[in-house]
Amino acid sequence: MEDSETGGNGFEPKILIFACNWCSYAGADLAGVSRLQMPANCRVIRVMCSARVRPEFVITALSKGLDGVVVLGCHPGDCHYSEGNYFTRRRGLFLKKLVEYVGIEPERFQVRWVSASEGAKFSDTVAEVTRQVKALGPNRPRPKA
Amino acid sequence: MSSQSVLVIGGGIAGIQASIDLANMGLQVYLVERTPSIGGRMAQLDKTFPTNDCSMCILAPKMIECAGHDNVHLLTYSEVDEVRGEAGDFQVTVRGKPRYVDLAKCTGCGECAEKCPRRVPDEFNMGLDKRKAIYMPFPQAVPRKMTVDAGNCLYFAKGRCRVCEETCQAGAIDFEQQEEVLELEVGAIVIATGFDPYDPAALKEYGYGEIENAITGLEYERLICASGPTEGHLGRPSDGRVPQMIAFIQCVGSRDVNYKAYCSSVCCMHATKEAILANEHYPDLKSFIFYTDMRAVGKQFQEYIIRAKEQYHASYIRSRPGKITVDEQSGNPIVWYDETVFSEAGDSVRRVASKEVELVILCQALVPRGVHREIAEKLGLEMDESGFLAVRDRLECPVDTSVPGIFACGFCQSPQDIPDSVVQASAAAARVAELLRPNSRRPGDA
Amino acid sequence: MPRTRVGVFVCHCGNNIGGVVRVPEVVEDARNLPNVVYVEDSLYACSEEGLSSIKEQIAKQNLSRVVVASCTPRTHEPLFKDACEEAGLNRYLFEFVNIREHCSWVHRHDPARATEKAKELVRMGVAKARYLEPQEEFESEVFPAALVVGGGVAGMTAALSLANQGIQVYVVEREEQLGGLVREVRTLFPTEQDTGELLGPLIEQVRSHPQITVYLGSEVENIEGFIGDFDVAVATDGQVRELKMGTVIVATGAQELKPLGMYGYSGLPNVVTQLEFEKSFKRGADLPPNVVMINCVGARVPERTYCGRLCCSTAIKNAIWLKEQDPDAKVSVLHRDVMACGVDIEEFYRGAMELGIRFLRYDVQNPPEVLGDRRAEGVKVHHQLMGKQIILPADLVVLTTPLVPREDSERLSKMMKVPVGTEGFFLEAHLKLRPIEFSTDGIYVCGSARYPSSIPESVSQAYAAAAKAAIPIRDGSVRVEAITVFCDERTCSACGNCVEVCPFGAVELQEGRFGRIASVNVMQCRGCGCCVAACRSGAMQQRGFDDRQLLSMIGALADEVVSVGGR
Repeated sequence: MEDSETGGNGFEPKILIFACNWCSYAGADLAGVSRLQMPANCRVIRVMCSARVRPEFVITALSKGLDGVVVLGCHPGDCHYSEGNYFTRRRGLFLKKLVEYVGIEPERFQVRWVSASEGAKFSDTVAEVTRQVKALGPNRPRPKA
Repeated sequence: MSSQSVLVIGGGIAGIQASIDLANMGLQVYLVERTPSIGGRMAQLDKTFPTNDCSMCILAPKMIECAGHDNVHLLTYSEVDEVRGEAGDFQVTVRGKPRYVDLAKCTGCGECAEKCPRRVPDEFNMGLDKRKAIYMPFPQAVPRKMTVDAGNCLYFAKGRCRVCEETCQAGAIDFEQQEEVLELEVGAIVIATGFDPYDPAALKEYGYGEIENAITGLEYERLICASGPTEGHLGRPSDGRVPQMIAFIQCVGSRDVNYKAYCSSVCCMHATKEAILANEHYPDLKSFIFYTDMRAVGKQFQEYIIRAKEQYHASYIRSRPGKITVDEQSGNPIVWYDETVFSEAGDSVRRVASKEVELVILCQALVPRGVHREIAEKLGLEMDESGFLAVRDRLECPVDTSVPGIFACGFCQSPQDIPDSVVQASAAAARVAELLRPNSRRPGDA
Repeated sequence: MPRTRVGVFVCHCGNNIGGVVRVPEVVEDARNLPNVVYVEDSLYACSEEGLSSIKEQIAKQNLSRVVVASCTPRTHEPLFKDACEEAGLNRYLFEFVNIREHCSWVHRHDPARATEKAKELVRMGVAKARYLEPQEEFESEVFPAALVVGGGVAGMTAALSLANQGIQVYVVEREEQLGGLVREVRTLFPTEQDTGELLGPLIEQVRSHPQITVYLGSEVENIEGFIGDFDVAVATDGQVRELKMGTVIVATGAQELKPLGMYGYSGLPNVVTQLEFEKSFKRGADLPPNVVMINCVGARVPERTYCGRLCCSTAIKNAIWLKEQDPDAKVSVLHRDVMACGVDIEEFYRGAMELGIRFLRYDVQNPPEVLGDRRAEGVKVHHQLMGKQIILPADLVVLTTPLVPREDSERLSKMMKVPVGTEGFFLEAHLKLRPIEFSTDGIYVCGSARYPSSIPESVSQAYAAAAKAAIPIRDGSVRVEAITVFCDERTCSACGNCVEVCPFGAVELQEGRFGRIASVNVMQCRGCGCCVAACRSGAMQQRGFDDRQLLSMIGALADEVVSVGGR
């Protein structure tokens, strides 16, 4: 996995990841156990289910100046709580539109599925999202909260 | 008190489930597992049919629950030496093999394995790649500790190296460690020793061992698994290319009076799953499954087969191939078989057909684990002709063995899949509870 | 109110963390965080030494929150929580920060940024910890009795096992006698015993067991409640009895499909199902010399895609029975696959072939045809190996049909709030690892009510259900991890979103002090948080993962973002 690159302007995005306890957090752990190297731009907040993530968290994070927010859940059909990730999926579609509506690039918000055995997928996701958000540049600056 | 303890032999999914249930009932459980980690065959699977759940994802929480339970005493890398006594009062000698690693100090960080110079075939990956002489069988191992494979360690063979010891910051390597002999008193015993794959080399007509691109079902499972030796890249043995056409041969050694007369029960579904996984990885890949009866009898199984046919390019050919040859140039195996389905009357001579594919998977028979014969002898258990542990009355008490107080669940007593094994494991727990009448798990209660 | 005093313990984990992350910098950074009164680092926080130190400092520094920054909570969280508890601090006032799997192990080549990340992760952890609140795990008493709905082989086996474990059991059976579907069966496979040999002793044991109460000719009218506390209304003997139960086992079985309109059934008098065959033909009776059986009737077809699992064995059993009664009888079994899995049944099948029973495969695209006007006289079938149609003379045609769900399974499913699957059988919590449990705690299922099961399978499932149903009763109480959800009645608008989204039916609208509000049954709540995110007024919160805690983590992370320019 590539390390973080410093572009010409030295911009390193700061990205927040919500990871569900049963699948994506475990997948992130597996990436760690497997020593899959990835860019150091992401910070994980653990929740029990991706469905816990309310729109307010995403909007707050982006409006406070974080460059990207990713919600990770179990693959559809595999949710530990049977339906949670279906809610996440629907909410995700709506949030994409809302983020765009308030003038933020919709690519700054993403929903992805990572299972507990997909260490590589977690690290690939981190690398890919970091690359995408980096290309967008810093999130529209806001005064310090 | 012996009558409030149970010995469970075998740490696969059946043994794990039985241990959890027994522990939840308030009994003290000694779970003896021969290898360094619990998990068994299910840990080697990529996905499980028919849900295509990731196997390790659903297994790992159970492993952690089992090992973390106050009432479960995990005795990994150990074997049962001797059993005396009777139902309600067994005396068991368990031999704990030395790992040469202090479990209290080892954090499972793996730095020692990185430095170890000795590579040996990795049995977890069916010999498809190598591990080190100091190793953790798989990343999610429980307990998450390292083990020195003394048989392959340079220090034990030649008296030198000890790099692991130098590397370990926690000082967990202990080459002086001795085997530990434990004397246990238990009220009941549950056997859950699982299965081994039958070696298809015995069936010369299929060329296993000679035809490079003929592999077994379990080998294929490790190849297609994202956390396997090739990270899910299905490269065939001869040239590493991804095959576009693969054949599954069912009943290799099963339903055959020359080898194993019985049906191994899970292989039809297993092959279908493999075909689905292959096509998921490589959308142009086509699979041909050569079968005798497509035994998809469980819940959602028929629907799985239909999906495989309609969405995943799996074709089912009703035939048991007589022979597999190989095209020397390309390394492509050629499957020779009799056609058994004719829409019009043909001549009286049977039509022989052949199919050239790029990889053949031999879905071999599954047999009760070799070591369980020894255990059966030690415990005085009857086995049937095929080596399965005999059950006292299959209709009335399907988990009671021929010896009172000893129960058997899972593949060691009959071919079955994961849900059936889990059911039998809980059933064994119920039978133990009837025998031992455990108290509440809360201390101080009557 | 005492100010929150946070202690932070940063682990080196040998050099797993310390070799990449500059731990002393993380320690210094943590010292400056709000409410942090103590910070230390250790080589192995999870070691005896590390844990002792944490306990010591909790006491010495009067810590009211503990944050440990080391590996993944998925392994050691219980260990540290135990340590807190031992030191007198509520175990829910502990927060774990992952700076190994999520940091040092994956940013080995960038120690500077790994260190920055570790600092930020600790800041987030401390921010959350400040808002953690002590929690008590809810405990609910379990009534010491189990209900078994259904008195067939599965129900009786489960009841007996529970009773033999010392538990009080109530069996509710709809018919006037015990036995269920097996009463209609003549012999069992593969042993070929008479069913009476199995049923007789089983029924006798159930009726005479002092711990078992049987209600015959009775039905369950209503079930309310949750694990440990089910209120069951049983219609029995002209009245309705109210019973309290701790756990419930569903063993209502299934019924044979009557294939109306298929293959001449119900039109032609000598076309019968397997069960009808067993009922009509007893030993010594006049047996038909030519019998053709057709398998997969009404199974593995678009209208009913599943395989009946035990019907092939039934056909083989009856074919063998016929041949044993009359070795000269010509018996053919037309099948699409012979589902004789395992050891015993495969041997049974081989034995059947050796007796001269003919097994002919047919294709679903080209099914057999029963010939005859007033009576069946023959069966026309496409012989796959010969490649042509043949006609088998038949004095009797036996149709092998699958078991199908009972008509009242939907009523039961709604009553107990347990789901049925696409085939109509009860749907278990997880097809692989929880085959006899429901998602709803305290209710279990076994036998053909779940899916067609042979006797050994039903019996195993019954024992398994008995094991599960006994555990809460034996424990006397059930405990719930305190990550459940609660509703603030002052802000709840009773919109009902939470009730709808809860996958476990744990939320209900009830009368509260200020009008209707959402009320969470903590015993059923699994702590997913779906309802919290769906709550329009913020009334729903999740213990240990409430909005304030999570938002403070976001704030702690975002604080580092500079308003303009590069970083």
